[in-house]
Amino acid sequence: MKQRVLIVDDEIQILKFLTTALEASDYVVISARTGREALHMIATAAPDIVILDLGLPDIDGKEVLAKARAFTSRPIIVLSARDREMEKIEALDLGANDYVEKPFRIGEFLARLRAAMRIAAHERAQPALFESDGLRIDLERRLVSRDGVPLKLTPKEYDLLAFLVRHAGRVATHRQILLNVWGPAHAQDTPYLRVFVGQLRAKVEAKPEAPKLIITEAGIGYRLWLAE
Amino acid sequence: MEREHDRRPDPEALLALAGREGRGKLKVFLGAAPGVGKTFAMLAAAKRLKSEGSDVVIGLVETHGRAETSALLEGQEILARKQVSYRGRELEEFDIDAALKRRPALIIVDELAHTNAPESRHPKRWQDVDELLDAGVHVWTALNIQHLESLADVVRRITGVAVRETVPDSVLQNAEDVILVDITPAELIQRLQEGKIYLPQMAQRAVQNFFTPRNLTALRELALRSTADRVDDQMVAYLRQSAIEGPWETSDHILAYIGPDDRAEILVRAAGRMATKLKASWVVVHVERSGHEETDPARLKRLDDALQLAERLGAQTQRLSADDIVEEVLRYARRENATQIVVGRSRAGWLRRRPGQSFSDKLVSRARDVAIQIIPTPEREATRRAFRWSLNKPKGLVPGVVAATAAVTVAVGTGEALSIVIRLPNLSMVFLLAVLACAVSFGLWSAVAASLLSFLAYNFFFIQPIYTFTVASPQEFLSLLVFLAVAVFTGTLAGRVHDQAAEVRQRAQHSESLYDFSRKLAGAAKLDDALWAAAAHLQKIVGGGVAFLIPEDGDLQLRIAWPPDVELNEGEMSAARWSFAKNEIAGWRTDTLPTLVKQFRPLVTPRGAVGVFGFEPMARGEAPTPEFERALTALLEQTALAVDRSLLIGEAVRAAALEDNERLRTTLLSSLSHDLRTPLATISGAISTLRQLRNRLPPEKSEELLASAEEETERLTRFIANLLDMSRIESGALKARRDYLDAADCIRNALERARKTLGAENIETSLAPDLPSFRGDAQLLEQVLVNLLDNAHKYGGGSRIVVHARREGGEAVITVTDEGAGIKPADLTRVFEKFYRGGKADGRKAGTGLGLSICRGLVEAMGGTIEAQSPAARRRGTRIVLRFPVAEIMKGLPA
Repeated sequence: MKQRVLIVDDEIQILKFLTTALEASDYVVISARTGREALHMIATAAPDIVILDLGLPDIDGKEVLAKARAFTSRPIIVLSARDREMEKIEALDLGANDYVEKPFRIGEFLARLRAAMRIAAHERAQPALFESDGLRIDLERRLVSRDGVPLKLTPKEYDLLAFLVRHAGRVATHRQILLNVWGPAHAQDTPYLRVFVGQLRAKVEAKPEAPKLIITEAGIGYRLWLAE
Repeated sequence: MEREHDRRPDPEALLALAGREGRGKLKVFLGAAPGVGKTFAMLAAAKRLKSEGSDVVIGLVETHGRAETSALLEGQEILARKQVSYRGRELEEFDIDAALKRRPALIIVDELAHTNAPESRHPKRWQDVDELLDAGVHVWTALNIQHLESLADVVRRITGVAVRETVPDSVLQNAEDVILVDITPAELIQRLQEGKIYLPQMAQRAVQNFFTPRNLTALRELALRSTADRVDDQMVAYLRQSAIEGPWETSDHILAYIGPDDRAEILVRAAGRMATKLKASWVVVHVERSGHEETDPARLKRLDDALQLAERLGAQTQRLSADDIVEEVLRYARRENATQIVVGRSRAGWLRRRPGQSFSDKLVSRARDVAIQIIPTPEREATRRAFRWSLNKPKGLVPGVVAATAAVTVAVGTGEALSIVIRLPNLSMVFLLAVLACAVSFGLWSAVAASLLSFLAYNFFFIQPIYTFTVASPQEFLSLLVFLAVAVFTGTLAGRVHDQAAEVRQRAQHSESLYDFSRKLAGAAKLDDALWAAAAHLQKIVGGGVAFLIPEDGDLQLRIAWPPDVELNEGEMSAARWSFAKNEIAGWRTDTLPTLVKQFRPLVTPRGAVGVFGFEPMARGEAPTPEFERALTALLEQTALAVDRSLLIGEAVRAAALEDNERLRTTLLSSLSHDLRTPLATISGAISTLRQLRNRLPPEKSEELLASAEEETERLTRFIANLLDMSRIESGALKARRDYLDAADCIRNALERARKTLGAENIETSLAPDLPSFRGDAQLLEQVLVNLLDNAHKYGGGSRIVVHARREGGEAVITVTDEGAGIKPADLTRVFEKFYRGGKADGRKAGTGLGLSICRGLVEAMGGTIEAQSPAARRRGTRIVLRFPVAEIMKGLPA
């Protein structure tokens, strides 16, 4: 069955070429040009993935994002000309799965789209076992091992790793990690998080100085590498 | 763990050490008497240092013509003395400014206890030295033991010579090093006899009395002891800093209680000596009984002096207020962990002089866990004191006595009248009434006068034999005495009530005026308003001129003065700056520049000093009264708060303006970023789609993508062209031609272009046939019209667009009207601002936000005006109106 993509953008030209490109890549495309229309369609047309522009004529894209997250867990990719880091962090904090800056090339965009769908599928499956690059994490038994050798993690290190595993493949912002692992009192303690990630990398990475598993998204957060 | 913690260096000890770093170090050459060779020892040591290459300067040294001392000065750098002329005499003083300018590593300043010439910066030389130390210069100086503040009265008692020049103990305590220069008394007396000691200021006989073996031995002991104490202190300090384990004694804490009487000073000195001996910290406390605040200026001054002395001797001081003084002293002692309480022997009135009734007795009986030291003090003033409370206000004496005379006259008249009507055994009640009336209305003195007069009048007019002052029967005599006693007693009581009421009134007035003042200040939001209000009010209180100085651009500036012609000379400005920098009072009656006629006080807030208040007192010779001091302090506190508040308001406004600017810039940037990125997104997206998915696309879709890319390229080109236009207009590079224009032609050309690019078919024109000619640039006008049509098309929502041109007086008017949603009234002028667009930065219709501002720039370059009107008709639509002055083609030219 073909995947349904909802494109939300008020620029006709962008809608036009995206529709052409996505249809040529075997997606079914539906579109909305305002925030209200978008929310209505997310609720009624059940798209498999949403491409959302932030600068909409009626309500701001971030508000659409926050409202949509109240009732859907489908992946939402933000597509925007806003290039300030704060905008990206805010969108990711509000539950966007990825953030693509305009202008972009269609190849990269389609790859991000596929990745978001795959990660969403992975999250829905909620596997109790995560294996990547020789690292094995058993979420049910709280066991971590590298190449068969068990690793000793402190409880917080394990919580941090488990949180990244549950969001494998997508960017977890500093704030999201701090809120979930350390609680609301530490939501701003980014330097603290940096220290912990350093410790965790020293234990789980094959080469801690060149991390392949826990990838830094500069200024935004961390992403656990998910093999294709 | 526990032990390790105990052995850490005492943080307070380390802090004291840290406080000293950065400050110069003081070395004191201490001697028991003049002539022991302090200066010689100091110079010899300095010469050694100099020969080792140190930067040593002689600030001031008195050699008194002695050859051996002068020899030591050879090869030394000597600072020139400052010439001061005072009352026709030439005085030579230490030049502190030259010293600060020269800034040597070490400076030698002899005779620490010296009193400077009047009009010097500091009254005392030790204050000069203090400033040098503050500036980070090391100082060596010499001092005789008799000049030490805490020893002054001991020395007086030993030698019988009063010491006028004293140095606070803290100076010696804070000295880095004290070197005792010691010779035996016998040697000293021999040197004196050989004429080797120069003592010009003492009369020969006084010298003989001073330089006795007994005195010199005692002084020598004092000097040796205080140096030994110091060595002890240094040892303890070193042990604490280095966290070497005890045993050092647990320190005592002494609390001295003083009253406002003449024993206060003696008590303070005694407590100070005890504290030094016990190496204890000490605090001097005065407790006022609530409701019985001291009002006598002389006693208040004595109290202030005693507390100041205590501070100079190194004590902390505290004024408290309570109903039960004994209880309060004990409570405070417990809170402060005092181990000893020092009080004087009480001198209660004879009525209360019973065992267990005096202050010290009560203190002893109620103190549980603290030792009480009772200091014997000379009995003086005792009898005067018993009456003092009742005699302290001879103010309004004359009107009081006049009133008493009048009241007694009325009483005599009333008595005579009554005795005609009825026969009364005793008419004294009438006089009692007169006494009471005087007491209540005019206070105690009037009451006493009235009772005396009543006594005489009653005797004269009503006691047999009448009209004589003789008294016939002993019975009558007794009743007269009783009458006098009752009169004085009731009069006193009523008088006290009256006095207290007057005092309460005065206090109420004071607080009312303070309230009034703060209300005035509260109403003034601007700095100058607040200062004007404060200046006018304060001028009334201080009598002389007042001025406020507020820092501007890093320096204090005279901001407000009242009367407005008050000016500050250089000396006054430097006092003001000093006061501001040090947060202390300077000028008149202070330690800093005391010869000035003005005094300067910092306006202190929790954030630090915000300005300086300067004033000229009404009477220069008089010390300010405590009431004046209190009122001024309270008013200045209020003023400081008001100044602080208005400064904060100013800062908040500036911050808000900055924030607005910042927000505008952010909006501009995101708007620009959106306008550039959106067409680029389509172009790059369309082209990459074509490259990557060409095989899967039907040909018509490929064609569409290419068309999109082309359109968006044009849009980007337009946007960039607009940006360039805008920067040309802003930089003034745009040169409009001044041709005679045919408006109709321009409009037709613009319509043609608009129809082509916008596909707008709904444009109507209405051109008046007598359309006048005006000057301008055809190309620019065309661009303006195209922009306006583009806007009307975009925001008109496909409605009809009307272009209208006509003549209105001396102007050619062209309007472009749409029937869209219109513009909000508030935005009618803002639409011409750069990058202004309704709505969010990237959420509105595709446009540049430059169209109208470019139009305005172009129209103004051609000498015309542009204006927006909305609604245009039937509550809808926008009309843009262009006006150009008509340029008549000169008459008389061949048609």
